[in-house]
Amino acid sequence: MAAGLRALRRWGLVTAAPRPSLAFTRSASVVNKVSNAQPNWLGVGLAFGTSAALWALLVKQHNEDVMEYERRKQARDHKCRECS
Amino acid sequence: MVFLPDESRSLPPPPLLNKGSVWLGFAGWMSALLDNAFNQRPILGAGVHRQVLLASLGCFVGYQLVKRTEYMHAKVDRELFEYIRHHPVDFHRSGEKKRIGQLLEDFHPIR
Repeated sequence: MAAGLRALRRWGLVTAAPRPSLAFTRSASVVNKVSNAQPNWLGVGLAFGTSAALWALLVKQHNEDVMEYERRKQARDHKCRECS
Repeated sequence: MVFLPDESRSLPPPPLLNKGSVWLGFAGWMSALLDNAFNQRPILGAGVHRQVLLASLGCFVGYQLVKRTEYMHAKVDRELFEYIRHHPVDFHRSGEKKRIGQLLEDFHPIR
């Protein structure tokens, strides 16, 4: 939310509130300056790994659903034919 | 409440890329781009792993939601047709086609 407000202020859509008499105020979001220079390889690996796992799960579940539907359709058609 | 009851597996499964999964995947991708914009990073080029993860998550959630939606609609349709089957008296006239001239009253001009 702080990043969003900062972006809005940069675009000139939101004006800053009038500062109190104590001039030195510090926002908590400025303390931890996140550096995007070096890639966070652990995060990248986890994100790609999770995405691959999600897609694998999705495709596997879809194939299982198709198989189960076909199986139930066969069972239903077989029941109506009154085989001996 | 179970999210997907067992009888929902008797329905034909929706295709992998359906309206819900494509739309939610797109929404996930947009939220990754929005996160790039708010943190003053290059919008398209930065955080590709984040874009891929959020888009995949959106597709997955969208697929499950569409499956549940189709099950709910099929359940309502089944109950509707069962009701129609059990109350033929109220519905037997739906077979004939009526012309609009039969429904209107005769026109007697008052001149």
